[in-house]
Amino acid sequence: MPHTLTELVAGAAPIVVEETRGYWEGTLAEELRVQTCNECGNVQMPWGPCCTRCLSQDLGSIVASGRGRVFSFTVVRQAIHPNFSAQVPYVIADIELEEGPIMTSNVTDCPVEDVRIGMPVQLWFDNEMEDAFHTKLRLPKFRPAKG
Amino acid sequence: MSISGKTAIAGVGVTAFGKLPGRSAWSLQTEAVKRAIDDAGLTKADIDGLLTAPPLAEPLLLHAEQLGGKLGLRTNYLSQKFIGGATAVALVAEAALAVEAGLCEVAVCVYGENAKTGLPMLFGRAQMGRGQAPSDDIAYGLAGGPIMEARAAKRYMNEFGVTEEMLGSVAVAFREHASRNPGATYRDPLTIEQYLQNRYVSEPLRVLDCTIGASDGAVAVVVTSSERARDLAKPPAVIAGAGVAANLQGLSDPDHYTSYPGARSAATAYRMAGLEPEDVDVAQFYDCFTSTVLITMEDYGFCKRGEAGPFALEGNLKRGGALPSNTSGGMLSEANLVGWNVLAEGVRQIRGESTSQVDDAEVCVVAGQGGFHAAHATLLLTKGAA
Repeated sequence: MPHTLTELVAGAAPIVVEETRGYWEGTLAEELRVQTCNECGNVQMPWGPCCTRCLSQDLGSIVASGRGRVFSFTVVRQAIHPNFSAQVPYVIADIELEEGPIMTSNVTDCPVEDVRIGMPVQLWFDNEMEDAFHTKLRLPKFRPAKG
Repeated sequence: MSISGKTAIAGVGVTAFGKLPGRSAWSLQTEAVKRAIDDAGLTKADIDGLLTAPPLAEPLLLHAEQLGGKLGLRTNYLSQKFIGGATAVALVAEAALAVEAGLCEVAVCVYGENAKTGLPMLFGRAQMGRGQAPSDDIAYGLAGGPIMEARAAKRYMNEFGVTEEMLGSVAVAFREHASRNPGATYRDPLTIEQYLQNRYVSEPLRVLDCTIGASDGAVAVVVTSSERARDLAKPPAVIAGAGVAANLQGLSDPDHYTSYPGARSAATAYRMAGLEPEDVDVAQFYDCFTSTVLITMEDYGFCKRGEAGPFALEGNLKRGGALPSNTSGGMLSEANLVGWNVLAEGVRQIRGESTSQVDDAEVCVVAGQGGFHAAHATLLLTKGAA
């Protein structure tokens, strides 16, 4: 268990908090859950404590299809965080989900030179990891869609 | 009620920029304050307002109180603000409001730190990628400013056909200005060929597209009424217009890859000042990245959407061009004082003191861009009534 800010920052795992618990529980079931507002029907990512359209806290979720397109991306050539130095070059992309919202993730399983804006991608889940407080989770990632 | 023309920047104090080992943030901040007061021809007893931006490396909750204590001040107004790179411009706007409202008569705004040789920028590192649970983007390797900005730059370039040469022409123009500024960190001439051979940090951004990582140094400005400023030591830089706008969803909002809230903060400032983009003689943009400059130029109405790149490529940002910009070298070449050095150069242009002085510079715009497309602040500085 990390005790200091420095230790927390040094780790590269997400930190599961109350309003995101449902999202991360979904990843363990290999579900990408997109947050929905039960009052106004807004669909939003990332998850938050309230609806960014109407401020309602009556929130639910839907399971995303896993299909999306690359909205934008970057090929990281120099990792600023030491945990990622061995992985360069890698792709960080903003994925426009079929359900509408944009989420940040990685595009994997293809040469970094092949990634394009508008490219269709398909969801997959990375290996199980733990956050700083030993809560288990899996990171949703994307790879080029087949066909 | 408009504050246009009623207040002015009457004094500027800057320390040396770059590597200043052995200097504490407090020592730099207090030096800049002393220099700004001296520059205005005032004394410490005249200062009754203090507004600070906390150092990134030492984000103290009580920074304004502690700095005021070290300066031995008793003030009628006190404030501390942090809205990222928009802080410098927004803090001056707040000082103008405080003076105009009668909360104080002479306010000092100050920022400074020893981020280069002192404490690492722990606060910045801690925040990057931690802002947006649950994506907690650091888990994907998203840590650091260039990666944040590169995705916006990529989308912007893709949408409008902006080339790498167009991005590079921003860096080349600002370096040319820096070559005439003895205080600039990087003064060697830069060619577009050298730029294109420069390595990528996070595509499409190269090292030369990114602001200098961190600089030691401090900047302070004195804000008072235009009436009082006219009787002081230096020509006033009158605050003709100001605006502070935000869209706090950042890159969750698809519109935010190709524009900033700067379109709104600039519109507020122009309306307040009764000025148009065509009236601006010189610009000081928040140049954390070359792409930021191009998008801000479009937000501010200097170019139509997608036309800032070709405009920059034609050399219009250089001295003698249609819109000379970042005439000290900016954050790309002079120093990274989180926009405060850019603000100081805006005042120098209005006074006629720049090392890349624009002839007859009557109107200067200063831009502050904060929080990766979330917050933006605009100041329009003029010489005021003759």
